[in-house]
Amino acid sequence: MDRRSFVKAGCIGSASLLMQGLDPMLRADTVPSVAPQVELHGLPDYKRSPLGMPGLFPGKVIEVRDPKAIVRNRISQPIVRRLLEHAMKNLTGENSSLDAWAKFIEPRDIVGIKINPSGAPACCSSPEIIREIIAAVQLLGVPSRNIVVYDRYSYEIDIGSYQALLPTGVRIVGIQDAFTGTGAGYEPNVYCEADFFGEWETRSYMASIVAHEVTKIINVPTMKDHSASGVTGALKNLAYGTFNNVARTHRAPYSFTNPVIGLMCTVEPLRSKAVLHIMDGMRQVWHGGPLTQVQDFIEQPGILLVATDPVALDTIELEAIEKKRAERGAPSLWQHDSSSITADNNEFFHNAAKNLFFREPGHIAATGKLGLGVSDLKQIDHRLL
Amino acid sequence: MPETAMRKSVDWPTLLGDNARTGGLGQRQLHSPEKAVWQFRAGGAVRSAPILNDGLLYVASVNGMLYAIDVATGMSKWNFAAGGQLHSTPSFFGNSILFGCDDGKVYSLDRRSGEKLWAAASQAEVWSSPVARGGVIFFGSADGKVYAVDAENGHQRWSRELGGRIYSTVYAAEHVLYVGCGDGKVYCLETESGNTLWGAATGNGIDSSPAVTEDLVLIGSEDFFVYALHASTGEVRWKYETGLGIASSPAVSGDFTAIGSKDGFLYAFETHSGQLRWKTVVGEVVTAPPVVGDGVVCIQAGGTFALDPATGKIVWRAGLGGAIQSVPVLAGDTIYLASLSGEIYALR
Repeated sequence: MDRRSFVKAGCIGSASLLMQGLDPMLRADTVPSVAPQVELHGLPDYKRSPLGMPGLFPGKVIEVRDPKAIVRNRISQPIVRRLLEHAMKNLTGENSSLDAWAKFIEPRDIVGIKINPSGAPACCSSPEIIREIIAAVQLLGVPSRNIVVYDRYSYEIDIGSYQALLPTGVRIVGIQDAFTGTGAGYEPNVYCEADFFGEWETRSYMASIVAHEVTKIINVPTMKDHSASGVTGALKNLAYGTFNNVARTHRAPYSFTNPVIGLMCTVEPLRSKAVLHIMDGMRQVWHGGPLTQVQDFIEQPGILLVATDPVALDTIELEAIEKKRAERGAPSLWQHDSSSITADNNEFFHNAAKNLFFREPGHIAATGKLGLGVSDLKQIDHRLL
Repeated sequence: MPETAMRKSVDWPTLLGDNARTGGLGQRQLHSPEKAVWQFRAGGAVRSAPILNDGLLYVASVNGMLYAIDVATGMSKWNFAAGGQLHSTPSFFGNSILFGCDDGKVYSLDRRSGEKLWAAASQAEVWSSPVARGGVIFFGSADGKVYAVDAENGHQRWSRELGGRIYSTVYAAEHVLYVGCGDGKVYCLETESGNTLWGAATGNGIDSSPAVTEDLVLIGSEDFFVYALHASTGEVRWKYETGLGIASSPAVSGDFTAIGSKDGFLYAFETHSGQLRWKTVVGEVVTAPPVVGDGVVCIQAGGTFALDPATGKIVWRAGLGGAIQSVPVLAGDTIYLASLSGEIYALR
């Protein structure tokens, strides 16, 4: 069995823990030069959809907020319902919530809801928001069995208790188990290939559920900084939650999340199927993301951001987290100062001046240049409601 | 000591030790384990609690296999491939072992041979542990129903639809059942018919399994609170707010109740008053139930911790047993642990 067959066969588990950089001791030996060539292989002959990124409303971001939406870390279901309806009507210009949702979803669709449970329980896609999305999709006539709430790691979904908290009939799928590699599987013909740090496996495969099963994706990222990519928003939630073997793109302290995040989002059918992005800003992590449990760095602003353009959405998120870091005296996400780098996870989690990587938030603008959206703040129609 | 009596003292037949859900009171595990006696590789993560009976440790793995491990050797005596992933803690009824499966079925196997006796179907995954009482097996399913099936053949006696997914394990008292539900309610059902006697609302869904002592039903909710409800009416007798949601289940022993929270703390209360005795941080997240031994409370939370029940001070900790959804088995001078990667350890 060659190395690629080994990974495809499902032995991703313990081997990938090292390959993906989950071992905190794994560090780059040398300074990498430029980003390597990344080879993309989408689903052959897939017809691109006009609903795909940047979608029906390029450059438009709707922001709704209510400080009562989250009080002492508890989210109000009725307020979330009202905020989401308000945002959807304003995004689409429709008078009814039903008509707004109907612009994206048809009754015959198989709807994937891409959550972000990493960081659970402190900050993850809120079950209250997912419930509202499910209710809206069901009102359009999509049966529960055709709604799939999914993410990469099943054990993170477990920690978030999504299984217990979401309505009956809806499927909840972890694509793989982080610790053993078993799970729903990956499509061997759809992948991104590059050698970043001389890693053993140089391909990242697209999840089969995205490649073949769902027909539309509603992306529900959280509002968080990220130690390697600067922020984890709509783009990273889609890319690194859809392809496997992605942690290999950043080996402390260096990161190739730019350009990989954007490139992965261009791969069909992911680009076409991701029709709507609803960013959960009930909680906002401004340091320690994506996995921190330290409440000192987690605000509770009670925000929802809605867009079809993930680049514009992430640009707004990046600005918000930069602003919060500046208010708190933390260095910019753009700072590349070697004195700020630490190899000590504990120091990183408790000191906002420290980081594990040189962050690369330029992936957002780079993705804009690939045609997936608008990254120029002056051109973004950011509506605060 | 006669062999049967000796076996009885170390058996651990169901979730939290016994059907009273006392969490293993009376078992002894007073000292820190010094060595691994054996290690068994399950080949898939373990997200449920092992159970022990008559020298065999039964472990359900998410790879769909149920393993019967001879605790004398650490070798598999038999294994059984179910039709889906396994997240359910097994339990015993007579000579059979029962467990739920992601294929929607509860399986009954001969516990000595692993031969399948029957399977009872529901419409979605069964993560809860089947509970036997009076010749009837009760279990909740993610299809939102509680089922009662005949323990001998799996034939359905009744099913009762509640308002949400059920991942909570039923507590079977003599005439009534208690169970938590994803709709945020704790339900009390009639054992014979499944009719609802009362439903008490909490502020969010329930993943936790209830424990019952005298006239109190104790349970955690994702609304961050631990609840003590009047067993006859569902009226709230006391509640205590933790820092995050609760997926852990209470272990109750007389006037001592322990439960974990996702805020990383293990909490101990006086059962009847709800007075906090202590709280101790044991990890970043606690989702597993604790177990109570004689002079020690154990919990898995990224490692295994043993605490003094009187003070909450950590007596010892072990890096093994990182499965935050599993539960250690305390049996005589041996402790059995499951890890995130599916390793099973016998420590002594």
